[in-house]
Amino acid sequence: MLLARVEGNIVATRKHPSLDGWRLVICQPIGADGQAEGAPQVAIDSHGAGMHQQVVISSDGAAARKLVGDEKSPVRWLVIGVVDEHEPGVRV
Amino acid sequence: MKLGTVIGRVTLSKTVKSLEGGRFLVVSPFSREQFAAGLDAPTSMGTDPSLVVYDAIGGGPGHVIGYVEGREAAQPFEQSTPVDAINAALVDEMFYSPWKG
Repeated sequence: MLLARVEGNIVATRKHPSLDGWRLVICQPIGADGQAEGAPQVAIDSHGAGMHQQVVISSDGAAARKLVGDEKSPVRWLVIGVVDEHEPGVRV
Repeated sequence: MKLGTVIGRVTLSKTVKSLEGGRFLVVSPFSREQFAAGLDAPTSMGTDPSLVVYDAIGGGPGHVIGYVEGREAAQPFEQSTPVDAINAALVDEMFYSPWKG
């Protein structure tokens, strides 16, 4: 699981059928200080994460396949939550 | 899924049975700068090493694709297949706005 910031989204007509109807968001992994670390990942999003919101993404392919309901899906990254606070009382 | 530019194709004459009929693309992974430049920018190479991606949805040189790396790449195949990167989407539009602190 990685802490990431939502920095955009993509639109694709030709894609694996299991991705139909899913929001594909561009997630930039970040460190605890909020600085970008590494290349952006595209994840499926069922939480409606907003632009520049911090999220946690997971590379659990089995969970992602269960979410899209297709065992033959190549999907790997999914948004598992939107970050409210880094520690109690400290909102992001 | 990561994004990358298709910069070439690979043809195999002899392959593992389950890969027969598939196409292979040489893909240069997108760098942050390329994300910021958008899809209309001239085709350029990323900074990361290029890789070969299995393709069953019809990508070609010049296209920007979303590819999945890892164990999940073999998931769409009927039998276990030695593939660790697969084209999952042809990117039509991209909206990207880096966070500036």
